[in-house]
Amino acid sequence: MADDIRALSEALAVDPSSVAFVALAEALRKRGDLDVAARVAAKGVERHPSLVDGHDVRARIALDRQALDEAAASWESVLRLVPDHRDAQKGLGFICFQQGRFAEAAAYLAAVAEQDPDDASVAAALDTVRAAAMAGPRSSAAVTAPVADERERSTTMIPAVEEPAPITASGVAPFARRATWSRADAAILFDDLLTDVPGAAMHLDEAGLVLAGRYLTEDGRDLAAEVGAQLSGVSDEATRAMRHFGFGAWTQIVFETEVASVAMAPVGQGLTLVAAARTVPLGFLRRLLDRAADRIRAWVGE
Amino acid sequence: MRMSVAASWVEAPLKQFVDDARVHYAVLLHPSGQVLGQYGFARSVDVMTACALAAAIDASSRALGMLVEGKAFPSLHYAGRERQIFLAEVPAPGGRLLLLAVFDWESSLGLLQLYHEEFRARVGEMAPPIAHNAPAIAADFEKELNKNLAVMFGRA
Amino acid sequence: MATTPFAPLLQSIIRHRGVTGVLLVGEDDGLVVDSVLQVGVNGAAFAALTASLYRKARRSAEAAGLGRTGYFELDAVDGRVLAAGKNELVFIVVAEARINVGLLRVELLKAVERLP
Repeated sequence: MADDIRALSEALAVDPSSVAFVALAEALRKRGDLDVAARVAAKGVERHPSLVDGHDVRARIALDRQALDEAAASWESVLRLVPDHRDAQKGLGFICFQQGRFAEAAAYLAAVAEQDPDDASVAAALDTVRAAAMAGPRSSAAVTAPVADERERSTTMIPAVEEPAPITASGVAPFARRATWSRADAAILFDDLLTDVPGAAMHLDEAGLVLAGRYLTEDGRDLAAEVGAQLSGVSDEATRAMRHFGFGAWTQIVFETEVASVAMAPVGQGLTLVAAARTVPLGFLRRLLDRAADRIRAWVGE
Repeated sequence: MRMSVAASWVEAPLKQFVDDARVHYAVLLHPSGQVLGQYGFARSVDVMTACALAAAIDASSRALGMLVEGKAFPSLHYAGRERQIFLAEVPAPGGRLLLLAVFDWESSLGLLQLYHEEFRARVGEMAPPIAHNAPAIAADFEKELNKNLAVMFGRA
Repeated sequence: MATTPFAPLLQSIIRHRGVTGVLLVGEDDGLVVDSVLQVGVNGAAFAALTASLYRKARRSAEAAGLGRTGYFELDAVDGRVLAAGKNELVFIVVAEARINVGLLRVELLKAVERLP
């Protein structure tokens, strides 16, 4: 990736009017250099105001920076140029949903669904938005605490590499205040830990199956089982390695990918795992893991 | 369980090796081609073929090693596109045995070497003297081979 | 070992307090390319097992849609292993538990950037 960025930077230096800024901004975004990416995209859009891809990449960067209004403005620019641009409609649908504007979110997603009725992910997202709209601004009947600020509907963003897909953790309930737990609580067990950090958390049992938590995508799909199945293998490898390292038991694994940081720790017979956008500092991620581990210990009665 | 052994002492070290090194197939054999234990194969004919080929490879690579280095190569590795082969000597009381392992990207040559060392140590501790298992004479070779295969695949 | 062109890179890491070994390892085969180890550190074991861990993390993260893995860290009761990869090589740091992880992470990533 570093080579790509270097080559694209050089291409842009040689010809500042080049549209290479789109690829460069996207590469920088993927690497997590969001401020630089934003500057590159802004300059490029200034030079090429009618280039759809320029506005689109600018919107994605703004979304990663959680500058939702800026992202929305860029995608609205896209729609002015291409009224049925699917990614822009999806992006605006997501932002409206995130901001609690469910009717507008539904309208954007319905427009996407109309273009491609066979896209199951869009249909699922539309169902989620409509259900949220039906339930009103506070969808969780279990909420008893007088908290209703916007952060509790906040969503998290860990863009996927193939097609940037922010991960959401909506429908937060104040679990810390619950006296008893039920199986229905399991999926949203960690949600209130994630109100201040763009991320996801889950706990896997010794077989690698999801016991609690979730890993939601922009369109409302829960990928916890898939992500957990993939990442739980890392802990098996660690357990094998410790026999030779002479370091005692392993306590934590952290790794950084292009788009996310992941931390995991053995808790009881299982594995607690948190993931967050690269913009989240590793120290914060470790603290989040500790808190998630404490939560699962309390939940299973350890 | 896809493991079968012709001698009970083979089971523990071979199982440990398979679990640690995460190989698809593993065969412990005498350099003559007689099988002592195997993991992964479902048919005796495949074990027989693997043992015969491993014994042949061992014999020729030993000769080649002597020719070019003045001593036999202690192990061989071949990396295919999907799978890799590791064939190594396992010293045992009174002689030597061979370990043939087939693995893919889930394992690595480094891991095979690491766990081969452990396997050697365990075999060194657990194996009975193998003088009586000295290379079978040509007339007995096939009979011995078939006897072990029959034990392992339940047709003894 | 440290006899290859990578020796200066390895030396730049081993000088940090608490570091007991630095290895450059093939990601796919887990074999040591070059290393600087304190007495008693089993280089072959750290090389093979850490490369395997790193590879597993990389493949798992890719399969989970998280993109390529850069930095990897394993913490244990009595020690830590840090790793970062580039071009099928993995740079591995073996260290005591009480080290300045932040500093070593930065140094490791810098060293990896200097790999060919």
